[in-house]
Amino acid sequence: MKKILFLFSLLAFSLPAHAGLFTSVEDRAQEVRAQVEGNNNYHAELARQFATIAVTEKGEHDKAAAQEFIKMAEDHAAQAGGAQ
Amino acid sequence: MKRITILLASLSLAACASHTNIDIDELAEARAAVAASKAAGAERCAPKLQAEAVAALYWAAHEYSEHGIHPDENAELAAEAISKANEARNQGSKNCAPAPKPAPKVVEVIELDGINFELNSADLTATSATRLDKAVATLNRRSEINVEVAAHTDSSGSDKYNQALSERRAASVMDYLVSHGIKADRVNSKGYGESQPIADNTTSEGRAQNRRVELRIMK
Repeated sequence: MKKILFLFSLLAFSLPAHAGLFTSVEDRAQEVRAQVEGNNNYHAELARQFATIAVTEKGEHDKAAAQEFIKMAEDHAAQAGGAQ
Repeated sequence: MKRITILLASLSLAACASHTNIDIDELAEARAAVAASKAAGAERCAPKLQAEAVAALYWAAHEYSEHGIHPDENAELAAEAISKANEARNQGSKNCAPAPKPAPKVVEVIELDGINFELNSADLTATSATRLDKAVATLNRRSEINVEVAAHTDSSGSDKYNQALSERRAASVMDYLVSHGIKADRVNSKGYGESQPIADNTTSEGRAQNRRVELRIMK
């Protein structure tokens, strides 16, 4: 029983950790901006825009929206081709 | 238990649904404007404006999903998406050259067997002309294809000489095709010298195979 509880706890914490839920939205937004610094293509611009919206939404206490927008920012940052 | 599972699954799927699926007139107009600017090449030609438009659209869609909260701000966001998208579309169509076309690729090679030239010359022999008439017939039959006449030499002689000779021979074949009714914009010529052997250049048989002309069908 203890083993099952232990495994369940690991799983319960690993999923949100993998999704970056334990890192603040502001830190992730900063990471996105660093990742596309100097890059002005469409995906880089969109990544910056979504990161800004995420931080704003978090400031307005809409954490779910903030998480969703920062995830979109990270997705576009990944497609942007890095900093230039 | 089964009902709870279904309910949880439904909620999860609803959470995954895109914000932009909400059916509101302003959003529909914003979506159309963003799609139009994208179609006009704005992602490439006006990336900042297009990104601002897309971000405003998503943000507006999210805000509209919070029914009844800040209706004026929601409309403003949708209006911003439309305005930025229109600006992006205009800038895209004015300032942007069309995307470069991909270089044509060789999709098929037709070996022109029996095409020979006078020694160290680009003049076609009489028998070669007969063979080329078959190529003319093929090109007339397959009117949708464009071709490159590719001429090759063996490795005898200097690279420079072989390159120039192959270019003259390719041009000679192209001239023949055009003079027999093939439109010039369907054909171009290129000499490859001795750079693309298909057989051993140390034997006379190999060298004979390497001295060749091909029709390369390009797409």
